[in-house]
Amino acid sequence: MPAVSRLRARLVKALCVCSIAAATSACARVRPYQRQDLARRAMVEDRGAGDRRFHQHQTGAREGADGGTGEPGGGCGCN
Amino acid sequence: MRVPAVTAVAIGAAVWLAAGAARADGELAMRGVYYKEKATRVVQPMLDARFDVGDAGQVDAHLLVDAITSASVASGSSGIAFSERRYEAGGGYLDRRGRWGYGASGRLSREPDYTSLFGGLRGDVALADDNFLLGVALGAGHDSISNAGAAMMMGTPLSGTMTTLLASVSASQIVSPRLVVGLTYDVSRLDGFQENPYRSVITAEGLVMERHPQTRRRQAWAASARWFVGRTATTVIASHRVYVDDWGIVAHTPELRVVQEAGDAADVAIRYRYHHQSAADFYLPSYPSADPSDFPYLTDDVKLSAFTSHTIGFKVGVFGRAFGLDGALGDARGEVEFEYVDQNNRFGNAGIANAALILPIR
Repeated sequence: MPAVSRLRARLVKALCVCSIAAATSACARVRPYQRQDLARRAMVEDRGAGDRRFHQHQTGAREGADGGTGEPGGGCGCN
Repeated sequence: MRVPAVTAVAIGAAVWLAAGAARADGELAMRGVYYKEKATRVVQPMLDARFDVGDAGQVDAHLLVDAITSASVASGSSGIAFSERRYEAGGGYLDRRGRWGYGASGRLSREPDYTSLFGGLRGDVALADDNFLLGVALGAGHDSISNAGAAMMMGTPLSGTMTTLLASVSASQIVSPRLVVGLTYDVSRLDGFQENPYRSVITAEGLVMERHPQTRRRQAWAASARWFVGRTATTVIASHRVYVDDWGIVAHTPELRVVQEAGDAADVAIRYRYHHQSAADFYLPSYPSADPSDFPYLTDDVKLSAFTSHTIGFKVGVFGRAFGLDGALGDARGEVEFEYVDQNNRFGNAGIANAALILPIR
């Protein structure tokens, strides 16, 4: 099995395990009245939409490794 | 820049008035970015609007212009100098009812030699008393590429199209009243013309236009955590992204951002990002032969080479209330950010300046 395939298989496995663990974890459930710190600006999103989009565009044009943001990269004449 | 600036102001005013007339809440952000590296300079003014619609909907829209000046149309290699503008418009709608959220978005980017259209759908569900959020996104894009920007100088017209399909799964979990962790997995498939139509490669037979595979499958995993330290009012945001594609590139990108609140009217942030990637299997600085039977693929793309980059950034954000303003102006926010990118490749180091004014809509 090539190294890249092995790494990919391990990472997929890790993602599945983490997702299941997170979904079924015994984390104490945080109630709405306990979330004032989670609602702080930097905890919700510390970068504006335009800021995020520019950085994604910049890294898409300068690095060969787009992805991981759930958003499309490229599309920018940066072939 | 005169026409785009007028257009941007007109659209901003229209969004502001429309939102005001509808008594919608939201915000309007005006941002300008300046990017400079050894051979390329980019100025990007942009306008982002977001406002609530009805009981559970939210609409967002953006418009931007990229004014690009580069020593080379091939972005970094020696060649033909060029200057051009890219226009992009996009928008989306998100609706949240109960534990379910769903939405759609679209984006059109256009420049003389590259047109890109992308559309996407997304949905999410909140579970475990809204402590766990699971999201799914799907998208498709169509790009048209040509060397029309310098066809007269290039001699032979070249053109092609490319389709992109994207699927993404994300999960976030509230771990404690001050800690949230998240995971995202993206997979995308690119099919079609993926070369730069201006870029040529050094071979034993001379300069030859680059040849890339027709398809590319890209995968990326990202893990992140946001932690608020109550005693010092500091937010620590850490992430790590791993990328693998079937062209042979493997990349690791950890990032750390620290946001320090200074009262309720200002904050400062520092950022460090590390990126390291391996080269594509077929990347060589020069090729001993251009024969397709020896080298089916040829590239001179710096993005496909092995390199490391370090980015450091510093940002200051201040609300209008810091200057004694109240009401909507008191909640208006100004931001200034400076970044420096150190990268050991042919692009050379880069500096980025970014300033924004964000106005609430009420």
